[in-house]
Amino acid sequence: MMNVMCKDRDRLFEDGSAVEWAALEEHAATCATCTEEIRAWKALSVAAAELRDYTDNPALWPRIHQALAEQAATAGGWRVGWRWRSLFATLSVSWQTAAATAFVVLLMVSGIWILRRPVTPPPQQGSLLKSRALVDVEHAESAYVQAIDKLAVDVKPHLENPATPLMANYREKLMVLDSAIDDLRAQTGQNPSNAHLRYQLLAMYQEKQRTLEEILEEKR
Amino acid sequence: MGNMGLALAWEARIPTLAQRERRLEPYRGQVAAPDRGAETQTEDAALAAACLSGDLRAYERLYSLHGARMKNLARNILGSATDAEDAVQETFLKVQRSIASFRGQSSFATWTFRILVNTCYDARRSRLRKKEVAAEEEQPHGDLAPRPEPRAAVGHPSLRLALERALAKLTRHQRDVFLLYEVEGFRHAEISEMLEITETASKNTLFQAKKNLRQMLEPPRASDAAGAR
Repeated sequence: MMNVMCKDRDRLFEDGSAVEWAALEEHAATCATCTEEIRAWKALSVAAAELRDYTDNPALWPRIHQALAEQAATAGGWRVGWRWRSLFATLSVSWQTAAATAFVVLLMVSGIWILRRPVTPPPQQGSLLKSRALVDVEHAESAYVQAIDKLAVDVKPHLENPATPLMANYREKLMVLDSAIDDLRAQTGQNPSNAHLRYQLLAMYQEKQRTLEEILEEKR
Repeated sequence: MGNMGLALAWEARIPTLAQRERRLEPYRGQVAAPDRGAETQTEDAALAAACLSGDLRAYERLYSLHGARMKNLARNILGSATDAEDAVQETFLKVQRSIASFRGQSSFATWTFRILVNTCYDARRSRLRKKEVAAEEEQPHGDLAPRPEPRAAVGHPSLRLALERALAKLTRHQRDVFLLYEVEGFRHAEISEMLEITETASKNTLFQAKKNLRQMLEPPRASDAAGAR
């Protein structure tokens, strides 16, 4: 028989084997403290039986059964998804990993495509030019630009060496307008159907036309 | 420690070592464990497979095997038979919803009890949130532990009441392990799977729980009372 002492008691209470318990009981036969401790310890296990109440409620299972049936019925809509998940669960870990990796790659490719596709401003109501109208606009715009360019040629000598501060100001203004026109032309080149951009460009050309006319008026 | 006082009528029923070895464990063996028999293991797996297929008779079988013990555990955690029945029903619904995720790493019954324990604590939290204000008014010391409902008359009502009150003061883990081991008769291996702790932690938690319960249930000793004067 193994030798057990008072100091071993807590360890045996926590995780003692049957043999160790037997040794503790034998030790307790000659130790009043251990006798009392063992008795009190076991008393808790006996007392725990007071917390057992297995009386049945006959109404409980029918209630659960009905709830299960209702849940199964409402789950009908997503039963297909459930089957897929069940199928996924039956796959081996390596196949699950492969499927998950493929899904992640698909997500990444989709994300990259969304990020890298050409950004187009949201179309505005009624501002999208149809193809025939677009051709007409581009013809008219081209003729208009040529007319303004002819006007600019007439004005050019007066602006190359501005004799007055007013002429110098006109030259500055024309440079700003030309820069803005270049920007707008670049934008309309990317999005030729955007009527809003066309209107802005037209406004710039009109302003340039007015400025050139004012310069010619001034010189007369 | 002194006498396990309480004027306990049950002191006379303290078991001998032989009795201790065959503890009163009405359901021992029904729940699968690592050393469970092949038959139990097969039935457990068959039950899980039948539940997965959506067979409601399998759920009925699960209920007939473990329903009473599930309800008893839920009642001891929640302190109310009505809440316990709701928790058992919710557990069955959760099992039905998530049966596809059951991998068989533990027994099906163990997995079901784990869901039950979590459901009980969810219900407890939800109930505490709802009744917090009212409970604080009723219980000025902020003791929000469940107030046990009267039960069918079995054994010693005063002992049961004292034990229930003492259990309510334990930590959640200590209470769970005590209820699962001492009341429901699960093995430490099964408890470790249910609570996702190690077997050693389960044993240690039970030891601490019983130590604390002893301190709470033990009446003041005569020598202590004399010293206090």
